[in-house]
Amino acid sequence: MNPTEATRLKESEPAATITDRSLAAWEIVSVVSSVLIAEWILSASAGRSKLVVAIPVTLAFVLIICSHVLRGETARELGLRLDNFLPALRLLLLPMIVISGIALLIGFLSGARLDFFRWHAERLIVFQLALGFGWGFLQQYVLQSFMNRRAQSVWGQGAVSVLVTALIFAVLHFPNPWLMVITFVGGVVWAFVYQRQPNLFALAFSHGVMTWVLVSALPPALLNHLRIGLKYFG
Amino acid sequence: MNSKARARLVHLLISKSIMEALVIGGVAVAFFFATTNPYFRGVLDAADKTSVTGWAVDESRPYTRVEVQLFIDDRFAATAAADQFRPDVHQAKRAEDDWHGFVFTTPRLAAGKHEARVYAVHSNSSGARKTLQLVGKPYRFSVE
Repeated sequence: MNPTEATRLKESEPAATITDRSLAAWEIVSVVSSVLIAEWILSASAGRSKLVVAIPVTLAFVLIICSHVLRGETARELGLRLDNFLPALRLLLLPMIVISGIALLIGFLSGARLDFFRWHAERLIVFQLALGFGWGFLQQYVLQSFMNRRAQSVWGQGAVSVLVTALIFAVLHFPNPWLMVITFVGGVVWAFVYQRQPNLFALAFSHGVMTWVLVSALPPALLNHLRIGLKYFG
Repeated sequence: MNSKARARLVHLLISKSIMEALVIGGVAVAFFFATTNPYFRGVLDAADKTSVTGWAVDESRPYTRVEVQLFIDDRFAATAAADQFRPDVHQAKRAEDDWHGFVFTTPRLAAGKHEARVYAVHSNSSGARKTLQLVGKPYRFSVE
């Protein structure tokens, strides 16, 4: 086999014919399917031991991290940086105030009691916020550093990739209707801010604070204890 | 992204899908055995306006008595243990002893056609789930 023939054969391999766009779309679908498998199949059928739920989640994280490495993405590009923390926070501040105001108003109009300990009744507020930051960081990492970046690979920077990222975030909270609405709105804001100032710490801060405010202000029945997937039904 | 990295990513995506399919398959099989007892055997022999009779055995634990529930016209009617004297079941080698029959007193029913179903109750190992498995076939009868 001469070198030209070898090159031609190599180029005809399936991997060589898949474009970066299709590969990015495939990656999005793969991670979304892992989360849906965990939410809808494993958490419901695994019985009391929920360890099996960790399998698709771990596989998703392996894929995400390997994808970063294979694509040569740096921590800075992913948003693991501090230099743009304040500019990112500045972009987030106004939507956070507006959404908090709306949540407080809805809570007031519906007669719900404002309870800052509703999320984790037995824990200090500082601990609740720290927990919210940690959980928010994890979600924002998957949502922005992976989903948003891959959505940008498919649709480019701008409204479409922002909306797709937000839509994915909302779909992952199915079938909790109000949580889907909230996560879609939050997803739009966070994806928009990430595309301008990629900073995961600011997004995680916003995610933690907003979850705490919404849970504290809105009637508990509205969010159904943030349950999603099959767990939503009880 | 170069073609080598792209090929690795494709392989990773395919491997991940295969592993997830295997996990789902494994969980589905485990779920089936947790919610279903494939060793339940039994027959609903007769049903009329006075009683519903039959037998039920758990072949994996032949000396225990199966809990059975009666539904008439898809409504729960009664629960009982299949612990009544049925030597014929033993003689037919369907049970290890004579005590696997059930007898329900039929609740008061309106005149007309009715359907009786008897289900064996299966609990999973932790007792967190209870599922019902139909014993034999539904039995249709009339009340005048």
